Amino acid sequence: MSTAVPATRTELMQRLQRLLRWRLWIRERLQLTEWQVTLLWAALAGFLGAMSSMVFSALSEGVHEVMTGSTGGVVQAMRMLPWWGRLLVPTVGGAVAGLILLYGSRITRSQSSTDYMEAIVIGNGRVPVRSSLIKSAAALFSIGSGGSIGREGPMVQLSAVMASLIGRWRKFTGPQLRLLVACGASAGIASAYNAPIAGSFFVAEIILGSIAMESLGPLAISAVVATLTIRVVTAAQVLYQVPAFHLNSPWEMGPYVILGLLAGMVAPLFLRSLKHAEEFFVGLRLPLVARLAAGGLAVGIIAINVPQVCGNGYTVVVDILNGRLIWTVLLGIFACKWLATMSSFGSGAPGGVFTPSLFMGASLGYLFGTAVHAVWPHAGVDAGAFALVGMGAFLSAATRAPVMAVIMLFEMTLSYDIILPLMLCSVIAYYTAKGLAGESLYSAALRRKAAETPAPAIPVGRAQDLMKADPPTIPAGARFAEIAEKFLSVRVNNLYVQEEGGRFLGAVSLHDIKPYLGQPDLAELVIARDILREDFPRLGPDQSLSDVLGLFLAHGTIERLPVVVPATGALLGSVSKSDLLLALVERRKKLEPA
Amino acid sequence: MLDLVANSREAAIMGLHAQLAKSPAVKDAPELLHGLLERAMLAPVCVAMDVALPHARTTAVERVVIGVARVAAPGVAFDAGHLAVRLIFMVGTPTQQVDEYLLAVAAITRLLKADGVHAGLLAAKTGAEFTALLARGAKR
Repeated sequence: MSTAVPATRTELMQRLQRLLRWRLWIRERLQLTEWQVTLLWAALAGFLGAMSSMVFSALSEGVHEVMTGSTGGVVQAMRMLPWWGRLLVPTVGGAVAGLILLYGSRITRSQSSTDYMEAIVIGNGRVPVRSSLIKSAAALFSIGSGGSIGREGPMVQLSAVMASLIGRWRKFTGPQLRLLVACGASAGIASAYNAPIAGSFFVAEIILGSIAMESLGPLAISAVVATLTIRVVTAAQVLYQVPAFHLNSPWEMGPYVILGLLAGMVAPLFLRSLKHAEEFFVGLRLPLVARLAAGGLAVGIIAINVPQVCGNGYTVVVDILNGRLIWTVLLGIFACKWLATMSSFGSGAPGGVFTPSLFMGASLGYLFGTAVHAVWPHAGVDAGAFALVGMGAFLSAATRAPVMAVIMLFEMTLSYDIILPLMLCSVIAYYTAKGLAGESLYSAALRRKAAETPAPAIPVGRAQDLMKADPPTIPAGARFAEIAEKFLSVRVNNLYVQEEGGRFLGAVSLHDIKPYLGQPDLAELVIARDILREDFPRLGPDQSLSDVLGLFLAHGTIERLPVVVPATGALLGSVSKSDLLLALVERRKKLEPA
Repeated sequence: MLDLVANSREAAIMGLHAQLAKSPAVKDAPELLHGLLERAMLAPVCVAMDVALPHARTTAVERVVIGVARVAAPGVAFDAGHLAVRLIFMVGTPTQQVDEYLLAVAAITRLLKADGVHAGLLAAKTGAEFTALLARGAKR
C-alpha cells in the first residue's frame, strides 16, 4: 500500500511532463508572440464588429419599414408617401430619437457619452456600453425615418463597443485597449462600406495618426475579418457599380486640378455650415425632443418637393455616377441636401455625416464635370468620372485623410481607371482645405471634448503607466512539477519567483527547464530557488519609456519584464514589449504639435 | 569517499563538504556549506530511498563541483521519508550556471538508474572500485 502512492504520483508526473513536452513542441512550431495574440483578438473584434453592424443595419431597415410602410430604399419610400407623410415621418422619427436620448440619459446618468474616437484619442479605451446602445437606438429612428444622416456612425460605435468589451474582459492595458477599440472602429467602417483597406486606413490616418505596422497590422486583420463576415453572410458586392471611365488625354488632368481646388474650398464650407447649424439649433433653446423633431421637420419640409434629400444619399450617388440625373435637377438636390444635412446634424440627430459627404463630393464633381463638358465639348470628358473623383476629393478635404479617401473610393468602385485623377485631386483638395485653416470632420469635436475632459489620458511616460498587475508567479519553494504545471496553465516564457512577503527573487525560464521535462526524478528534487535566474532584468516603476526600451533591446528574447520597487524589491507587475511599442507610437502622435 | 560516519543529515553534509572543500574550484568553503545546509533545510534533497543529493547554487564555487560519499551502514536519516541514506552526491554550482546545475543533477539521477551502478556503489570494497563504477556509469 505504501509503495502504490509514489508510483501513482510518478505516473501522474510523467503524464504531466509528457503533456508539457507536447505543448512546448506545438508552441515552438506555432510560437505565438504577444503580437500574434493581439492579431487574434483583433480578428475577434472584426467578427463581432461585423455582426453588430449587420444587426444595426437590419434593425434600421425594420424601423424604416415600420415608419414608412415600405421595404424599398429611403428615397423610394419617401416618394411613395403623401406630402404630409413626408413631413410627418422625419418629424416623428426625430421626436422618438429625442425621447430615447432623453430617457436613456436617466439610465446612463453615471456614464459619459464617450464615443469611440474620444475613447481612442483622449480616453482610456473604455467605450461606455449603455450610452452607446442608447445613442444607437436613437439613431435607428433618426436614420430609419429618413433623416439626412449616415448610419455608418452608429455602426462604427457599436463595433468599437464590442472591441472595448473584449479588451476589458481580457484586462488589456491602456495602449492595448485603445488599439483594440481602434480595430473595432476599423471593422465598423469596413463593414459599412465593404472596404477593408479603407477601414484600416480610416482609423490609422484619422484617429491614430500613424500607419506604423504595430497598429496597422491589427487594424487590417480586424477589417479583413469584418469584410469577410459581411460578404459571407450578406453576399455584399461592390458598393457603387460604375461604368468604365477613360482618360482620353493627359490634358484632362487640368480640369481635375481645378476640381481639387474647388472641393478643397467647398468641404470646409460644408463643415462650417454644419457647425453653424448646430449652434443655431442650440440657440433655439428647445427641449431635446423638440429640437430633434424640429430637425426632422426641416428635412420633411424639404422632402415634400425633393425626397432625394432623405437618407444618407447612397441611391442618389448611384444615379449620379451612372448619369441618370440631369445637372439642373442635381443642382437643386445638391442645395437641398446641404440644407437637410445641416438640419439633421445641427439638431443633434445621432448618425454620421461620412456618407452625406460622399454625396456632396459626387454632386460637386458631376456639376463641375458638366460645366467642363459645356466649355470644352471636344475633350469628351465624362461628368460621371468627375463625380467619382469629386467624392474622393471632398472626402479627403473633409476628413483630412487623403490616403484613406483614395483607397476608399477605389475599394467602393473597384474602378482603377480613375486612380490618377483621384490621387491628384484628393491631394490638392487636402492641401487646399488645410490651407484654409479649418478643422476636419472629426478634429473639432475631438478638440472640444478634450477641452471638456477634466483629466484626459496623457501619453504614458513611465514603466508603471504600462504595467499590467498580477503577473504569473511561483513561490521560491515551488517544486519542479509545480513549475511545469504553472507553465502549462499560463502562456509565458518566464515565471517570476517571489518570496512570501512578495519580494521579487528572479525568474524561472521555460527555456532552462525544457530539456529536463522528461526526467521525473527532478520533479521532487528541484525547486524554483534552485533554477531561478537572480539576474533577470527588472524595471523600476518610475523608469522612463526610453529606459524600458533600452532594457528590452538589451535582452532581445524577453517579451515581458517585471516591475519591481527598487527599495523593497516588491513585485508590482510586468510590462510587455508589445505594449511598450504601442505606447511609443501613441506618444509620438500625441506629442506632435497640433 | 567511502564509509562516511555521520549520525545526522548535517553531520553527513559537513563530512562530505570537508572533502569537497579541498577542490581548488571552491573559493569560499564556509559559504558553500552554508548554501548546502540552507537548501537541505528548505526542501528535501533525496532522489531515492537511500540516495541524497544536497546541492547549492552559490558564489562560493568557480565551476560545478561534485562530491560523492557512501555512508557507513545502516545509513543516516535525511528526512522523515528517507531514514537510511547510504549514498550522498553533493553538488555546488556557480549562481549564474542554471543550465550546468540542471545538467549535473539530471546526470546524477540518470547515473543511479544505470544497470548495477546503484547496487555496485553500495557493495564496492575499495575507493578505486567505487570510483571506477562512477566513471563507468558516467561514460554510459
